[in-house]
Amino acid sequence: MGRVVFLATFLPLELYYTVAMTVPTDRDLILRARRGDRDAFGELVTRYQTGVFNVCYRMTDERREAEDLTQETFLRVYSRLDMFDLEREFGPWVRRAAANLCLNHLESQKVTAQFNEERDAGESLQPESAIELRERSEQIRAALMSLPANYRAVVELRHYQELSYDEIANELNIPLSDVKSHLFRARKLLAEKLK
Amino acid sequence: MNHLTDEILNEYLDNELADRAPVEKHLATCADCAARLAALQALFAELDSLPEETLSHDIAAHFVPSPHLPATLPRSLRLAVTLQAALAVIAIIIAAPFVTEYVSPYLISLQMPSFTEILFQAESQWVAWLDALSQFQMPTLPEFPFVELSSLYIAIALGGASILWLVGNGLLLRKHIK
Repeated sequence: MGRVVFLATFLPLELYYTVAMTVPTDRDLILRARRGDRDAFGELVTRYQTGVFNVCYRMTDERREAEDLTQETFLRVYSRLDMFDLEREFGPWVRRAAANLCLNHLESQKVTAQFNEERDAGESLQPESAIELRERSEQIRAALMSLPANYRAVVELRHYQELSYDEIANELNIPLSDVKSHLFRARKLLAEKLK
Repeated sequence: MNHLTDEILNEYLDNELADRAPVEKHLATCADCAARLAALQALFAELDSLPEETLSHDIAAHFVPSPHLPATLPRSLRLAVTLQAALAVIAIIIAAPFVTEYVSPYLISLQMPSFTEILFQAESQWVAWLDALSQFQMPTLPEFPFVELSSLYIAIALGGASILWLVGNGLLLRKHIK
């Protein structure tokens, strides 16, 4: 009883200073953004824009396009903020949303339904004696771009967002067997490109 | 010897296999499959090595962010804190003369004349202020037909308010009390 009285008496004041002095959590910011606080959402964007941009960049390999898709991702997330489950982590949710958006974008463009032979023709993926990190990164990006968009999405979700097969199937709304076949074929193609 | 399929090797590296022991047993004895696994691991490492790129401009600017975002408290907690602060100030005002009176003899025995003098001065000013306050004429309160504002009723009301306050705080903090 004494503990309850003590906490009831002093903890609110302590909490006030604790909360006021600390950085707001994602949950705080989401709740505020849901009430229309755009500053709070801006803070969320600041926290996660780099991660989301990298998802888009890996999916498109076009910096300008990736930046546009990053912005589009956050606009969509903002409009769907009420659907977000506060018990889950915000960052992975946004990155998954970005991967989905990029996949839809690529499929609507129908650019990479088949292997992009034009792109491959201009680049040799065969490493030379000493490869600089940048060159190798470009080769990896080029290899990723050579994949069909749906393969790329599965690779993105498995390798960079570390989702399980079931989670990927759920996220992309495809059968588990498709997740496996897309992923294994994608890896085979990537291994060939990056030899 | 039957070699491991690509599917099994992929699932093994993805931690999607329920039973890993047979695969590990096979890998320990089959150089071909071990080499295929190593090649797959090398691909994983290649993909992991892709560095993070930075944006050329701040996307957050489109959402009007503020550089120093203050944290907010729930309204109920803000109210509780404000009430507590007000009650604390009132308690300090009421307790000050008694504390001064209680502490003064000790301060004198500690031979701190200058500080004691200051305290006495403060006390005399405080008493003077209380005297002035006692001269203040309260406006006549309207009489309620069914309520007699005796000291007993006031004491009960204050006690009730205190209990409500404590219960309210307790409810607010129920998640923090284990």
